[in-house]
Amino acid sequence: MLTQDNLQKWAPLLVLVVLVVFFTAVNPNFLSIRNFARIAIASTPALMIAVGVTFVILMGSIDLSMEGSVAVCAVLFATFFAALGGSLAGPGLLAVPATLLVGAVFGAINGLVHVKLRIPSFMASLSMGFVGIGLSLLITGGDRILVEDPLFRSLLTVRLGGFPLMTYVAIVALLAGWFIQNHTTIGRNFYAVGGGEDLAHASGLNVNKVRVICFLIAGVFYALGAMLAVAQIGIAETVTGRNLMFVSITSVVVGGTALWGGSGGVWNTLIGVLIVNVIGNGMVVIGLPSYVQDGVLGLLVITAVYLSTDRRSLSFVK
Amino acid sequence: MTLDRLKQHFPWVTLVVLILIVGAMDPNFLRPQNLVELAGDIAPLFIMALGMTLAIYIGGIDLSAQSVANMTTVLATITLPLFGVFSALVVIAVGFLFGAVSGLVTTRLKVPSFIATLAVGGIALSVGQFASGQRALYMDAGQRDRAFGWMLGSTAGIPHELVLSLVLLAFAWFIQNRMKAGRILKAVGAGELAAVASGLRVDRYKILAFALSGMFAAIAGLLFSVKLSGGSPTLAEGFLLPAIVAVLVGGTPLTGGVGGVLNTLIGAMIVAVVRASMLYLDIPATSQQIFFGIVLIVAIALTIDRSKMRIVK
Repeated sequence: MLTQDNLQKWAPLLVLVVLVVFFTAVNPNFLSIRNFARIAIASTPALMIAVGVTFVILMGSIDLSMEGSVAVCAVLFATFFAALGGSLAGPGLLAVPATLLVGAVFGAINGLVHVKLRIPSFMASLSMGFVGIGLSLLITGGDRILVEDPLFRSLLTVRLGGFPLMTYVAIVALLAGWFIQNHTTIGRNFYAVGGGEDLAHASGLNVNKVRVICFLIAGVFYALGAMLAVAQIGIAETVTGRNLMFVSITSVVVGGTALWGGSGGVWNTLIGVLIVNVIGNGMVVIGLPSYVQDGVLGLLVITAVYLSTDRRSLSFVK
Repeated sequence: MTLDRLKQHFPWVTLVVLILIVGAMDPNFLRPQNLVELAGDIAPLFIMALGMTLAIYIGGIDLSAQSVANMTTVLATITLPLFGVFSALVVIAVGFLFGAVSGLVTTRLKVPSFIATLAVGGIALSVGQFASGQRALYMDAGQRDRAFGWMLGSTAGIPHELVLSLVLLAFAWFIQNRMKAGRILKAVGAGELAAVASGLRVDRYKILAFALSGMFAAIAGLLFSVKLSGGSPTLAEGFLLPAIVAVLVGGTPLTGGVGGVLNTLIGAMIVAVVRASMLYLDIPATSQQIFFGIVLIVAIALTIDRSKMRIVK
């Protein structure tokens, strides 16, 4: 049935399909495995970041720390990796869990600052993001760290069915995100907090604990995104996280997860990330310069938030 | 005296203490000439912070300020050969327009200001990159000096940048304290629902606050590009954090309603002194960002009015 609710639910997927059809009509080369692989590679790190922040947005909070978090995770990963022998086939493999831990700690600090000091999450996380950028600068001294291990780079270079290995890593992580969201207590609690914090609190939920855990889980996904970003270009540096904040937040809201929390989820985010990257890729394919993308994303995010907001229930926003 | 009464004196006490500490390390620091130059150097940042104050004063935030300033450096460099000194009017109008769009999006479309300004910042970034062709542009020295030479240099030891800052401060202070608009902005910051209920056209004034914020960001960008004699879409990178820090350590809380542009003057001076002290202490510039990030967290935690936020999201 084509009800308003249904329309709102399927609108993001519809937009994605329309975009693919449109770009294919303008340039048939768009519709090819090669090009889809290109879109998949570009989407992979952003998808991890966006899945992480999806959980935070589900609670009605927001996390703007990802650029700093990704920068710290990326340069620490490269540092650990080099210190442990620089090969994935050896002790270097330990750099992966170590980096995930770094992401978790960074995320937890983020959540604790927000909850314990009772600072709105957008400012707490924005500040932590700045701290993260500073930390990564301090670690690298502004230099870039090369990661050349062929085994690690095989995430990009080895393809399976036309798509590089990193795509499959991202799919596994996405499934893990879906599992957390739908099949764990903490995942359900994200929705409870986002749907109505008073109710959640009144039914005995330790809302603050849920919050901190949520930021922690988001941090783990940022760490994963950071490592995939390093795998993508073979370089870890302070600007590894550049633009990821804007892209990931846009993806989440364009995918249909409401900024007010309580509805949406990781599948919406997958659609959102694909929409954003199909637009980015499509603009290049039809010959538009890539720098138009930021402006288009800006318009997209405004439209998406506008469409997903029930304005009658809101007296004002800050 | 209660803590709340003391709180409003925190900013200037902090400033004086900081100056004395740095002065104790290096007495040269306390020379009036040095302090005046310090104040002059921070002018672009202070001007951006002035605009940011208005956005925060109503309980919002403007995360587009840096992008608008970036865009302005490019537009100013491009329009200088065409309009000379009048290019200032062009870029200021563009900044005002971008701010007004942020205001419209947040009031009419009900998009929270941090997202609305982030999005408008993205648009400004694109415009900057488009206009510059993603290159660094340079101003012709002669043209620059004829049109904007008056912004630089100093008279009787007073840097012109400082004079410009103070004129803009007086302008912002006049709006805030002597005009109806200023009173309404305060009402919005103190309690938006009450302001709406008393029949004020709140939306209009919120749009005005964001528009002014965009305008000041553009002036900051203009001054910065004149100073560096050029423009690029990333020239003003690194301004956003210290600008927000200046507003908050000055004593305008994130929840708005109190504080104001004079507070931001003190806040900006605190930022300037902290930066200078880091030079004296040989702390690498890269640590500044970590330090200011932490200062920002502390400042928000200390000044925020929690009675206005039943639930902290």
